[in-house]
Amino acid sequence: MTVTGMVSAASAGVALLGALGAVGFRNIFHNILCFALAMLGVAGVFLGLGADFVAVVFVLVYVGAVAIAMVYAVMLSQPLDQAPAPRRIGKIAAAVVIAATFALALWRVMRGAWWPGLGWGPAQGAAEVGRHFLTDYVLAFELVSVLLVVAMMGAVMVARRTTEGGGRW
Amino acid sequence: MTLTAYLGFALALFGIGLYGLLQRRSLVAMLIAVELMLAAVSVNVIALTRLQGRSAGMGQVVVLVLVGVAAAETAIALSLFVAIQRAAHNIDVEKLSELKR
Repeated sequence: MTVTGMVSAASAGVALLGALGAVGFRNIFHNILCFALAMLGVAGVFLGLGADFVAVVFVLVYVGAVAIAMVYAVMLSQPLDQAPAPRRIGKIAAAVVIAATFALALWRVMRGAWWPGLGWGPAQGAAEVGRHFLTDYVLAFELVSVLLVVAMMGAVMVARRTTEGGGRW
Repeated sequence: MTLTAYLGFALALFGIGLYGLLQRRSLVAMLIAVELMLAAVSVNVIALTRLQGRSAGMGQVVVLVLVGVAAAETAIALSLFVAIQRAAHNIDVEKLSELKR
């Protein structure tokens, strides 16, 4: 096993552990920390796949921005000192059954599909991604930037505290 | 790692996310589960476009657009949660059932 392969496997393990913690723990703050860990693991998997730029963007966006925004939202919305409601075994069992059935079905489809026996192609770095973004996919690039501006303004408008207190929402 | 290993990893991540989305009651926890599922999709795209004869750069472009859309979605969702908390004093999905009455 090469060094890259070991990095990938270790990162995948970290990501799966983090994902389990992100859905398993009962304290929402622990969930967010485990989510950040899972995203670090996924970024490591991207490094193993030769997608360096995407890995850096994942760390920046998910660990740096999304996790922090979630912490703020929890502080503004969820009282952490209250005891969480008791778990319902029926709901957990149903969720496990549905998720496992779905994953098993996808696994069977994946194993049954015909995959051309190709090896890995050459990795492409940030230069190639930037060239794609500013030539072939410039429309997607512009659309995402417009979408981010609109989402930012919408978020501010929705979360704004109205002083007149007219409508319920 | 082989292609199958990467696809299996993404599948496990997606399954965990689906379980969390179905089981959790807090809106923020459900959002975390959705983000896990989106990350699994990103792993699949990156792995499949890295194969011979595909353009690895194009797959990375797709994933970067996906990350941008996911970030916008998170911003809107979190601000909605804050607004819901302000109006209903709760973000537990099983207690937000006013429309049922």
